[in-house]
Amino acid sequence: MVVIVDYNLGNLKSVAAAVERVGAKAIISNARIDIRKADKLILPGVGAFRDGMQNLKTLNLIEPLEEARRKGIPVLGICLGFQLMAKESYEFGHHNGLGWLNASVRKIDTSESRLPIPHVGWNDLIKLKGSPFFEGIPSAALFYYVHSFYVDCEDTEIVIGECEYGMKFTAVAQSGNIYGTQFHPEKSQYYGLVLLKNFIENT
Amino acid sequence: MIRKRLIVVLTINNGVLFRTRNFIPDYRYTLNFIDAWSVDEIIVLDITRPGEGNKENFYTVVEELATKCFVPLAAGGSVRSIEDFRSLLKIGADKVVINTEAFSRPELITEAANTFGSQCVVVSIDAKKRKNGEYEVFTEYGNKSTNTTPNDWAQKAQNFGAGEIMITSIDHDGMLEGYDNELNRLISQNVTIPVLVCGGAGKWQDFVDGFIFGQAEAVCTTNIYHFTESSIKSAKRYLEKNGVFVRI
Repeated sequence: MVVIVDYNLGNLKSVAAAVERVGAKAIISNARIDIRKADKLILPGVGAFRDGMQNLKTLNLIEPLEEARRKGIPVLGICLGFQLMAKESYEFGHHNGLGWLNASVRKIDTSESRLPIPHVGWNDLIKLKGSPFFEGIPSAALFYYVHSFYVDCEDTEIVIGECEYGMKFTAVAQSGNIYGTQFHPEKSQYYGLVLLKNFIENT
Repeated sequence: MIRKRLIVVLTINNGVLFRTRNFIPDYRYTLNFIDAWSVDEIIVLDITRPGEGNKENFYTVVEELATKCFVPLAAGGSVRSIEDFRSLLKIGADKVVINTEAFSRPELITEAANTFGSQCVVVSIDAKKRKNGEYEVFTEYGNKSTNTTPNDWAQKAQNFGAGEIMITSIDHDGMLEGYDNELNRLISQNVTIPVLVCGGAGKWQDFVDGFIFGQAEAVCTTNIYHFTESSIKSAKRYLEKNGVFVRI
């Protein structure tokens, strides 16, 4: 069973619909008992980093998520959900994250490119490494992004896909059983669904 | 590199998809034929006149689209408050389109941007060309004159926190003779946020012109004949051949 973690931020229903579309059973929950029983966890998210961490704390979700991570349950973070896995963020101040990835969340630098922020729209996924997560994803696949901050990985080994928008940044990271995408697979049509299917079946 | 977008706009009258011509509901269709697989985004607008239908019927349409179409979905029509934003986002919309209320109470743009992020706030502007050649913003389903130019209003909306501007020519709506690119260019050149252009596309070349002459970030079509898997794909191939970088 796939548990989509409900921490009051994000498009939970769209994620659930996409997971069900690829043939898995999904529940949206923030109950510890559900998180403990999950085969796969998805941490979605649209919103600000500080609110995200605050909500995880208030809902007592950090401990069961930590437990799942230690047990080796595959966890997929999407957009803000991915950013929360970093050790810290510089979005509106400085905030600590879950610290699962040796990475910091920083603002996209468009001072040279003069591109508008947020980065909204369809853009490339440049695959850097092979992964069961990428099965069936061609090099020309496009995904839907909407964000102003990105996950700056100090541990470059975990960066398996990049995107370019005035600068190169992490599009997909993988560290053991932890997966993160900066784009929204649930809004990226066919290849988004392929990626979710890979997470459910190949990880 | 980021791609230019092709957006389908669905106008819904009391839960039923309608095409409009100069803002008057015209044809009637069902939602069944919609194949979203190569469109980049969907905008769904409630055009039910006040007191003439049940809001729930529109919400049902949004919810259905949100669970069946795995693309960004914007919803709007008669959005008056932060609560309306919340309701639409909760049932699966990714963005909310506001028009009349934003014009009369621009603080709503700021409030929504602060609460949900500016990427979530699309300010829709409807404009008509006056006899003297100047453009004027009309609100209330294109009925109410405002004595404001769309250019002034677009800049103001951006300053209040809008994430995108959707500009529609009332005169070109449903005429299938191309966008009003003079109007589109005027807006695109005066704001830094993405401009979505709407009203009048009838053939593939109109999309190309919207990008090149209208300087649009996205072109919208409400034309029912554009709503098929093959037609959207063929439109995109045409755009690519004409130098517009799109997702195929």
